[in-house]
Amino acid sequence: MERVQATAIVRDILEQEAIFLEEKRWDDWLSLYTPDCLYWVPAWRRDGTLCSDPRRELSLIYYASRGGLEDRVIRIRSGQSPAGEQLARTTHLVSNVRLEDAEQSGGMLKARASFATHFYAPKDRKPSICFGNLRVKIVQADAQWRIKEKIVQLQNDYIETFLDVYCL
Amino acid sequence: MPSLSSTVRDLIDDRPAEGIFRVHSRLFTDPALFDLEMKLIFARTWNFLGFEADLSKAHDFVTTSIGRTPVLVTRSKDGEVGAFLNRCPHRGATVCQQEMGSARAFVCPYHAWTFDSAGQLIGMKEKSAGAYPSNFDAMAHGLTPLARVGIYRGLIFGSLSEDVASLEDHLGPMKFFIDLAMDQGSHGMEPIPGRSVYSFRGNWKLQLDNGLDGYHLTTAHASFLEVMMRRRTGQGNTSANSLDFAKNMDARQSAFAFPNGHCALVNELPEDARRPFIDMEEVRSRIPEERARWVDLNYNTLIFPNLQLIQNTALALRIIRPLSPDLTEMHYFCLGAIGEDDDRRAMRLRAFEDFYNAAGLATPDDSAVYEMCQRGLAGGDGQWLQGYMRGVKSLEPGDSERARAFGVRADQSATGSIRSGFETQLHAAYRQWAAMMGDARMEAA
Repeated sequence: MERVQATAIVRDILEQEAIFLEEKRWDDWLSLYTPDCLYWVPAWRRDGTLCSDPRRELSLIYYASRGGLEDRVIRIRSGQSPAGEQLARTTHLVSNVRLEDAEQSGGMLKARASFATHFYAPKDRKPSICFGNLRVKIVQADAQWRIKEKIVQLQNDYIETFLDVYCL
Repeated sequence: MPSLSSTVRDLIDDRPAEGIFRVHSRLFTDPALFDLEMKLIFARTWNFLGFEADLSKAHDFVTTSIGRTPVLVTRSKDGEVGAFLNRCPHRGATVCQQEMGSARAFVCPYHAWTFDSAGQLIGMKEKSAGAYPSNFDAMAHGLTPLARVGIYRGLIFGSLSEDVASLEDHLGPMKFFIDLAMDQGSHGMEPIPGRSVYSFRGNWKLQLDNGLDGYHLTTAHASFLEVMMRRRTGQGNTSANSLDFAKNMDARQSAFAFPNGHCALVNELPEDARRPFIDMEEVRSRIPEERARWVDLNYNTLIFPNLQLIQNTALALRIIRPLSPDLTEMHYFCLGAIGEDDDRRAMRLRAFEDFYNAAGLATPDDSAVYEMCQRGLAGGDGQWLQGYMRGVKSLEPGDSERARAFGVRADQSATGSIRSGFETQLHAAYRQWAAMMGDARMEAA
């Protein structure tokens, strides 16, 4: 596969994810992930370095399957989460998409990107932002490109009130 | 409504003979009261500073605060744990900007006054050219040491005031809970690496209350219970191994108000409930059975004024850091046994992340309701709050049968079930609040 074509595939799925989150199309969003996906937002250590071992160090979010993402959607849809009352309006920007490997092996695309998500709920009277970068592995499953792995490095880890998947 | 000529103490309506206990909303909103709390509570009692496990080697340090006062905690080259104001005596800049690390010297970035890990000044730039007055050398130039530093079971506490009881006397019955937590590991417990720090736009006492409030579980966390219901069928993030609270609503709950403002809620879950991730066999081989049997208890505790030690399936410790009347910073730690294996540690982490994280499925709902409370409490003369009377008719003065079973001495106890959602344990905190805020006049407030 040409590099430019592979980059376009990655960019397409990341932009698609951004739009699904903005439009709160939760089922479509879930379908972008493989059932055995890794979704990981490592915490930062107090010495200023990033945690690297989820078995021995804290993560802000760590899911070794799509089940964790499904829980999020259940909670959002329950209408019983005070943090989700007046669910935030969000704008998800993704950019700086670069393939990590020149050679793509086994049909898997590895890439990094930068993101900034702005979110705002009227009751809070102020906008918030989460920004950072992410690494993804994209595979073909059921004739579609899907996210097999997403690791988010959240640069601003001083969390204001809450953090959820739609803030990333 | 207390009149303007009354004292701050009158903002707690405490009439035990009538069963009435109310807290005035001004405690959560009044900037003058907040300033008094910093001066009369935080600056006059023991505050949790950090973990000895974070200072395992000479020159290791952490930074924290007492109220709004920045504090640097170090282990000196001689191995002594010390705590100092993180404030250069020259112009006041913080001399250490990091949360944690190791440093033989702290160099103030402003004019390079330099301090060793025992807080002593070891260098003053251009001192001889400084034409200082002749009595300047007689002044102490080091970092200001805290008046008192004490360590109990690896937890470091400090006080800005000399005039406090010994740390052990101050902790009193809370030593029982700290012991339960620290006994989990044969080499003690440590904060697992990884920051969980967040803020909410509400008064710090909203967290104080909520940390010992079981009553909100089935409403504020209804979405979490729904997720847990679905997990019973094997769907969702079952590997989080969280406690299925809805299954245990009839489990016995004890509410204890202890001396010095400390309090606890203890839930005795049935044997078939998910237990905390503790190697109980190892614990039983090491400590006497009469203590070991309580190590996997389920508890929510407050070590007054702002430290909460909690166990459901994970063991968590939170520091409530007041920033202003309507802004609070939370520092949350997942505790693990030093040297425990990867599997057990991963279990602790996944459960902690699931429930307690600010990016988890429960804590965000707590923070969101604090902000609703803060909005609701705003304005006017305020109002007496009715959130401190669940359990009044179950109150026993002193120790209950359960207190005696655990071996803790309480000022008052209540026994019921998780459904009781007791609030009377919080009387301890607000009585201590009233005692310490004392006779300050409302005009001053």
